[in-house]
Amino acid sequence: MYPVWEGLFIHSAMFVAVVSAFHVLASHLTVAAAWFNLYLERRAVYENRPELYVYLKRSALGLLVFAYVFGAMAGVGIWQTTTAANPRGISTLIHNFVLYWGSEWYMFLIDVVGIIAYYYTFERVNPKTHLRLAWILALGGTGTLAIIVGILSFKLTPGLWFATGESLNGFFNPTFWPQLFMRFALMFTITAAWALLIVTGLPKGYFARERIIRIAAVMGLGGLAVALSIWFFWYYPALPAHAKTILRSPAIPPITFTVIIGGLIATFLGLLFALVMPRRQHQIIALGAMLVLFAAIFGAERTREVIRKPDIIAGYMSSNQLVFNDIPARGVLREEQQLNETGMLGSLPFLPRPEQISVAVTNSAGHQVAMGRVLVIQQCAACHNVSNQTAITVFDQRLALRSLAQLLERRKMTTAPKIETYLNGIGAFPYMHPVIGTPEERAAMALYLEYFVQQQHAPQPQAQARR
Amino acid sequence: MDIGDMLERMRDPLGAPFYPPALQVLLVVTWVFHIFFVTLALGSSAYSILGFLRPSEHRLRLARVAARLTPNAVGLGIVTGIAPLLFVQTIYDPIWYASNTLSGFWSVSFIFVVMGGYSLAYLFYLKGSADGKLLWSAVASFVLLFFAGWVMHVLASVSIRPERWMEWYAPNGVIDTRGIAFHAWNIPRLIFLLPLQSGLSLSVVLTLFAWYFRRIEEDAPFMNWVADRGRWLGLVISPLYAVAGLLWAATEGVEFGIGVPVGIALAAVGLALTGYFFFLKQPMQQAPRTLLVWIVALLTVGVVREGIRAVSLARFGYSVSNYPYIMDWGSILVFGVTTLVGVAVVTYLALVLYQSGGTTRDSEVSPRVERFGSIATGMLGAWFAFFILVGLYTTFMLK
Repeated sequence: MYPVWEGLFIHSAMFVAVVSAFHVLASHLTVAAAWFNLYLERRAVYENRPELYVYLKRSALGLLVFAYVFGAMAGVGIWQTTTAANPRGISTLIHNFVLYWGSEWYMFLIDVVGIIAYYYTFERVNPKTHLRLAWILALGGTGTLAIIVGILSFKLTPGLWFATGESLNGFFNPTFWPQLFMRFALMFTITAAWALLIVTGLPKGYFARERIIRIAAVMGLGGLAVALSIWFFWYYPALPAHAKTILRSPAIPPITFTVIIGGLIATFLGLLFALVMPRRQHQIIALGAMLVLFAAIFGAERTREVIRKPDIIAGYMSSNQLVFNDIPARGVLREEQQLNETGMLGSLPFLPRPEQISVAVTNSAGHQVAMGRVLVIQQCAACHNVSNQTAITVFDQRLALRSLAQLLERRKMTTAPKIETYLNGIGAFPYMHPVIGTPEERAAMALYLEYFVQQQHAPQPQAQARR
Repeated sequence: MDIGDMLERMRDPLGAPFYPPALQVLLVVTWVFHIFFVTLALGSSAYSILGFLRPSEHRLRLARVAARLTPNAVGLGIVTGIAPLLFVQTIYDPIWYASNTLSGFWSVSFIFVVMGGYSLAYLFYLKGSADGKLLWSAVASFVLLFFAGWVMHVLASVSIRPERWMEWYAPNGVIDTRGIAFHAWNIPRLIFLLPLQSGLSLSVVLTLFAWYFRRIEEDAPFMNWVADRGRWLGLVISPLYAVAGLLWAATEGVEFGIGVPVGIALAAVGLALTGYFFFLKQPMQQAPRTLLVWIVALLTVGVVREGIRAVSLARFGYSVSNYPYIMDWGSILVFGVTTLVGVAVVTYLALVLYQSGGTTRDSEVSPRVERFGSIATGMLGAWFAFFILVGLYTTFMLK
């Protein structure tokens, strides 16, 4: 339906993943840090403890420069990367939720103007006015969280939206509430790491230092405990059976769980250390905690994205950007059935007719291979490396995202007939979608994949068109 | 496949959730605020460099202010850019998504380029603007920010030329999935929208800056100089703006068959601004009016820009007015209520910033603004009650 951007050196999906993880870290930080700062500022005002303002001012500058602005940029980065990587997926979200996103934008505007006002009015307005700004920041940040969770969770559990077509049903879907509260709790853990980073950067003689470290550690541990409880007792039970199957499948490599669980344990131990020995805290430890959390968040967000595979919107649109379910309430008809009859090539925008496809890239391999290349790019490139364009070699190690060549080699499916059989049965895997198109088109895809496998071993491609 | 059929097929099957022409109006209005901050960032970035390259007492002082302004303007440019980005995806999804995937590498690089430009601008402000050290960081920041503008310009130019998409995507029958080529651009349009508007946005903000600090007596000579610089800049750039507008009309306007109306509109804006700045005798005192004039000018440019897009797509039968839509009352309700709350709170925050910023040395937020702040904060708190109630109603009642 749209041109495919595979990525360059790095797969398009990895651009999305890295930018998203950074955005999550920054945006989660803004919300809970605002609550933490509000708590401290209330104590500063009502207990007359002006020394706390030293921390608050330092924290506010860091948040202004790092979390809010870079968070905002990474937010726009998500738009850009998802648009380039999977435009129809983001289009579905936009056409359901543009006015919710518009609402989130207001909250975000409050956040950004709020942090500017908050930082630049220290000692310029009376303490109660400044405290009100702290309240606005905390509430505005929580508003952005509440709205975006509805959109994110829709992708995994659209719920009654299938039947009613109502955006409200899609928004307040079965995993909305548990995910909202789980994220809210986890934010305090991120903020604890942030608070440790800021407070350890203050002079050793700063006498509120240990107190702030202890408060932050308690808050972080509490957030972690609540978030884990919600995961086990509310969020996980609310996941669809399909998502639970994917969680236990090879679609998620074991290293991901190692990173997530290891990150959580390291964070727990780090915060416990801060609580017990606040004097031994050091900025390097705090920075390490932030990096560990980033890795854990990266793993967790990737897992959240993968457990709805092979769909980009669970039950509605697959990763190949085709709608495979009717939504009568919105007048939407499935697209795949018809394409199996008419064929993909020439039936969709940006998929040329067979006679329009040149063999220039696949050289002597033939026209069928060139056709197969177009189809494989259209159907597989959203999740897999399907050409050398998105692979890099580091120290003789070929790095590519779920390379189809490597995957087929592991399964000893290296000839076109075997690959074709494999493609015909692929829909039976829980994390794969059936290949769309006519039998002739699947045969062409198999030929290209054979060519791609051979390309990994020989400088000159040896594959020849068999048909 | 016929291009008209292709565009229709590419529209999202869900349709828009609200009357599309209303979203089109929101697109133009929010773009005005976005382009104001973006061009201000570029203008202030340029001045922060020039002030240090050709120093005098006033220039240096103003260059430091500009260095501080640049990263803040970039931040606001990003934030205000989100709104038009939402609306363009809703009513122009085929052309926006096609141009972003055709130029995928640059579309994705855009945000890294902006992050680099912002970081370097901040580096210069924090570490270099006091004495002019690290001027390279300001120059590199300007280059990156301008390059980001170029990328957006290319995306817009590609989007309005659907007749060439296949030629770009599959030249000679071989699809190219790298997205590294700059497929289309229009230099007069680029010059009109970026460097010239940057100068004009800076010009307007200089007069506003002087107006804001007008009551600090010891700064009066400096502020008068700043306001005069603002007027001078506006007077010099406005005629060039008119000329660039005519060139834009003579190239892209003629390409789409609307050279005359585009030329008349853009030249009129440029000449009107020239006249305004020529007759502006008290730039400091009349700065708020100058801002209003500039916003109206930008709005006119926004309408012209939208007109070019509409005409370019009308060639293939694509029109926002016939975009399929439903009235999605749930989202309209959430958006409407949040708009009320958001406008109230942001207004309060702006008033606090304005009143605490230094119209006099010992400024304080007025009791009226404090009362308004209580109400706005209360509205924000009440929004959560509204949100939870809607959520509970949907979860348990809306089947």
